[in-house]
Amino acid sequence: MITYIIRRLFAAVVLLFIVSAATFAIFYLVPRLVGSTPETLATRYVGRAATPETVNLIAHRLGFYDPVWVQYGRWIKGIFVGANYDYGAGVERCPAPCFGYSFVTRQPVWPDLLDRLPVTLSLAIGASVLWLGFGLSTGVVSALRRGSLLDRAAMGFSLAGVSLPIFFTGMIGLLVFSYKLGWTAPGGTYTPFTEDPGQWAYALLLPWAVLALQFSAQYARLTRAGMLDTMGEDYIRTARAKGLRERDVNIKHGLRAALTPILTIFGLDFGLLLGGAVLTEQVFSLPGLGKYAVDAINTNDLPKVLGVTLMAAFFVVIANLIVDLLYAVVDPRVRVG
Amino acid sequence: MIRKSKVLVAGTAALALLLSAAACGGNDDTDGSTSTSKAEFNAAMTKVFNPSDKKGGTIKLANSGDWDTVDPGETYYGYSWNFLRLYGRGLLMFKPTPGAEGNKVTPDLAEGLGVPSDGGKTWTYKLRKGVKFEDGTEVKAADVKYAVLRSIDKETFPNGPAYFEGFLNLPANYKGPYKSKGVNTDSAITTPDDSTIVFHLKSAFGGFDYLAALPQTVPVPEAKDTGAKYKEHVVSSGPYMFDQNNLGKNFSLKRNPNWDQATDPNRKALPDGYEVSLNVNADDIDNRLLSGDLDLDVVGTGVQPAALGRVVGDPALKAQTDNPVLARLWYTSINPTVAPLDNIECRKAVEFAADKTGYQTAYGGPLAGGDIATTILPPMIPGYEKFDLYPAGADNTGDVDKAKAALAACGQPNGFETNMGYRAERPKEKATAESLQQSLARVGIKLTLKPFPQGDYFSQYAGNPPYVKANKLGLVTNGWGADWNDGFGFLSQIVDSRVIRETGGSSNTSVRIPQVDQMLDAAVAETDTAKRDAQWGPIDKRVMEEAVILPGVYAKSLMIRPKRLSNVFVSEAYSMYDYLSLGVA
Amino acid sequence: MVVGPGTQVPIAADPAEGAKAIEGRSLGRIAWTRLKRDRVAMGGGCVVIFLILVAVFAPVIVDLFGSPPNEFHQKLIDTSTLAPYGGTGISGDHLFGVEPQNGRDIFSRVVYGARISLLIAFLATLVSVVIGSTLGVIAGYFGGWVDALISRAMDVFLAFPLLVFSIALAGVIPDSAFGLSGDSLRIALLIFIIGFFSWPYIGRIVRGQTLSLREREFVDAARSLGARSPYIIFKEMLPNLVGPILVYATLLIPTNILFEAALSFLGVGIRPPTASWGGMLADAAKFYTIWHFMFFPGIAIFITVLSFNLFGDGLRDALDPKGKR
Repeated sequence: MITYIIRRLFAAVVLLFIVSAATFAIFYLVPRLVGSTPETLATRYVGRAATPETVNLIAHRLGFYDPVWVQYGRWIKGIFVGANYDYGAGVERCPAPCFGYSFVTRQPVWPDLLDRLPVTLSLAIGASVLWLGFGLSTGVVSALRRGSLLDRAAMGFSLAGVSLPIFFTGMIGLLVFSYKLGWTAPGGTYTPFTEDPGQWAYALLLPWAVLALQFSAQYARLTRAGMLDTMGEDYIRTARAKGLRERDVNIKHGLRAALTPILTIFGLDFGLLLGGAVLTEQVFSLPGLGKYAVDAINTNDLPKVLGVTLMAAFFVVIANLIVDLLYAVVDPRVRVG
Repeated sequence: MIRKSKVLVAGTAALALLLSAAACGGNDDTDGSTSTSKAEFNAAMTKVFNPSDKKGGTIKLANSGDWDTVDPGETYYGYSWNFLRLYGRGLLMFKPTPGAEGNKVTPDLAEGLGVPSDGGKTWTYKLRKGVKFEDGTEVKAADVKYAVLRSIDKETFPNGPAYFEGFLNLPANYKGPYKSKGVNTDSAITTPDDSTIVFHLKSAFGGFDYLAALPQTVPVPEAKDTGAKYKEHVVSSGPYMFDQNNLGKNFSLKRNPNWDQATDPNRKALPDGYEVSLNVNADDIDNRLLSGDLDLDVVGTGVQPAALGRVVGDPALKAQTDNPVLARLWYTSINPTVAPLDNIECRKAVEFAADKTGYQTAYGGPLAGGDIATTILPPMIPGYEKFDLYPAGADNTGDVDKAKAALAACGQPNGFETNMGYRAERPKEKATAESLQQSLARVGIKLTLKPFPQGDYFSQYAGNPPYVKANKLGLVTNGWGADWNDGFGFLSQIVDSRVIRETGGSSNTSVRIPQVDQMLDAAVAETDTAKRDAQWGPIDKRVMEEAVILPGVYAKSLMIRPKRLSNVFVSEAYSMYDYLSLGVA
Repeated sequence: MVVGPGTQVPIAADPAEGAKAIEGRSLGRIAWTRLKRDRVAMGGGCVVIFLILVAVFAPVIVDLFGSPPNEFHQKLIDTSTLAPYGGTGISGDHLFGVEPQNGRDIFSRVVYGARISLLIAFLATLVSVVIGSTLGVIAGYFGGWVDALISRAMDVFLAFPLLVFSIALAGVIPDSAFGLSGDSLRIALLIFIIGFFSWPYIGRIVRGQTLSLREREFVDAARSLGARSPYIIFKEMLPNLVGPILVYATLLIPTNILFEAALSFLGVGIRPPTASWGGMLADAAKFYTIWHFMFFPGIAIFITVLSFNLFGDGLRDALDPKGKR
């Protein structure tokens, strides 16, 4: 068990390194491939009245002339021991964990990320509670009443759910529920839970519902398929033959078996969502990690984008790791494999 | 239009009248001349809306983006200059008065306007006594000198205005007090005593008082200066000081106990504090303004398209708005370095073929966008002359016949192909480019649209002459607002060919007329305001004759008037509500 | 377990009858017979064909029922509010109304948007199918360290925060690069990004199928007869992989349509004024009080994605009746 955990941990760390290297390469290699020079990169960090000498100086100070792998190494080192950035007016300290330093706002990226995380976390947790509850129950009912009107309606509804882009449902939701009816908060409002839980929930209600609509559709389909698969298995028949009550058979055996693959997918989905519910946050103007990334792209603030991407990858990897470890606890066969 | 007359008495009188009207309960509608309480369209344009002397309360503001910076040495946005007067006192300031008077500078930290000597090469200011920083120490001339010098360091403050380093007689290679520590700067600024500051210029500049009104003259105590980090705690010299300051999120101001009303004739300091939220969704700001939950959109550029329909369509809501004209021109540069636009007839074809109504609609129509422009100078700039060299037909949608004639004269009777650049992040510029693509196609001029990132627009693309030439950027969208409302403040950066840098970065991309450069030099050297102002119109006309600028609209903004506040009026200097006089009604 | 007609669980109604009918027919024909019986899937398929025709004949359709997609009709716009007169501007000339501010015909833009959407989704799927099946077969067939390496690579790709990563990638590419510029560059870029990040989905399926095929008798037989690896892969295994690849490719197309729409919505996809559904929705977000502007492009995405999903589900069931359901 211990060796298994260590092996998974090691794999996760390697994965993170690869993801970060690839991300880094995109930002520092791709622009070069298409004709950017260290100077053009540096012009982003100096004002409108910069002379070529200033640009050159800044490019040197920021190490844009170094090979990419040297720059990457420096960046990784910053995460562990912090880094110093010299942008001209003095040396700026970016304490560990230094996820980069924005030259547009002149702030280390890490505190920003910590600041945005609660918003995305609130969004992800609330929505996942909704979609798990709604998706699983719909899936179970559909599986048990297979072929019924209810089943067909639920499956039709969920197929529609997965086919609707979230930015469309979000916009329609805002138009109808917020603007026309005034039931939900308009876009752009967010109050931290610690300040006012009521306002917090009010502002997030529509984003939760919209996210949950999409995900519960997927989960209903998955649950239904999983239940149907297991209900045909021998041990279910055995359980029935033993005279167990129908409800116990369905819930204890059927649903539990169907839950395992759902757990995997949930881990992945939740991790991805934490890494930035980009579209939802964009539609509702929620100041979370996803909007942070989009805003950073628009202002060409690459260190921020790099920071978010790595953080997002971190959540996906961690979520996978947790799912793996849970499996190992639940199902001893996994440890050997 | 001679607004900048030297008759200061008139201004003082108007101010006195305003104060008395307010003090004696000028809520009377019939009074009419200086104040009003009747909520109607444009009620706060030239009058004080809802006058009151009531103190207390907190004013709530929101910004749909981040504040560029609250550091007086670097901030370069009109709204920020307007707001900064709450926590900082520069030598001079724009008068907090409605109407044309608001365009005049008035002494703030200084006792009087600048006293020129040596033919306009030396300017002396006397400081008021008893003005204190928030920590109780007295403001000295050296603090102002230090503030100006630190703002010169463009590595620390890359985005700040660059007028002082342009005009002051600084030592060669001077890079500001951080890098050129201990360098003697007496050739540029001297402080003979604690309450006198003298500026020494390289050449005569009649309009130096405008520079003395820049926030860069707001005193900064050297001991408390932390360079680029100073924006985290700016030391106040005004009636309010920073309470909380969460960069990128929000900040608040509270009363500065060391500010003394006796030293300050301009400020009333009515509310107890200000709360500013940053990065708030723009549509949400409009909704909250309309419901009264929020007082001001601090940026002051007006409502979003979604709210426009609501506001204009509802008479009750429209009565709650003001529609000022801004000292800002949205235009398109026609680059003569790109063939066949090197031929003036081809440039004229563009001028004639452009659909001006379409241009206006792209910016938001006559209310939210602005008025159709035919000149470079907006009408509110002193010296503006009205003329239209390229009439766009009866309905302002372009004169196709004249455009075709010009094309024929250019030797391109079937039109030609060229590229048009715009800032990708700006929907209005995108709409403009699409509109021009449509209207020019009528005469066979085919435009390929090229979106560029806003951050590098001038440094690498539209303002980079070799790039423009190599990539055949015949047209590029552009916009310019004056740093202050005067011909020099408006024209110098966009029509002087000497500001064009081969390495990029200039807002002027297309105007290279030696005669215009000479005309500008002659105007700058003129110390008589009226004579100087009379020279801007001809410069405008000369540039238009070359057809290198296609004027689009003189910008206007439709602003939602705060419901809850008193003393609301539009400042002509900033073309938005004056933030200094507001109170909570 | 009797399944009524018209449900979307089109498993062969009577296994015994199905088995008899299969006798002597190719797998493809059996699948087709099953598919034909699935009315929902066939409905989806018909809509898909209709949409492809719309995309192909966009210029003709627009010529007949609309006006050029980038043409302004500002006479239909109330310039003080920027909204079309009468709220939507829907009329015989403008079936879906006109856009606020510039008055472009929404019908024509939706029709042209179908071109962009389908073109990118199809080609991106092709890219992932090529990469995914190649690497999947290699991993499954050779096993060992090759399999380990490719499988790890797939893990890495699946762990990528896809959307953040793609907007970053699409955002750093300038207006002209790799000898392309304008729309062609953006389209190529989107095809590459979407295709490149979706291949592991195909790769995993193909690898799994290959692993099980490798152990089957006919492959063993071929190997013992001295057949070389390329022969086995191409002649023996590939024909058996076509079915699953086709199914998952069909199911990947709607995902890719949503992906392209999302990127264009975020402003890193197709550049204006070229019409794309995601870009139209981004424009409509600025006029969120005007319903028809967001409605038509949104519904277009919905119908397209839904019909591909319905058809793909039906196809999967037809090819593999014992499948997931």
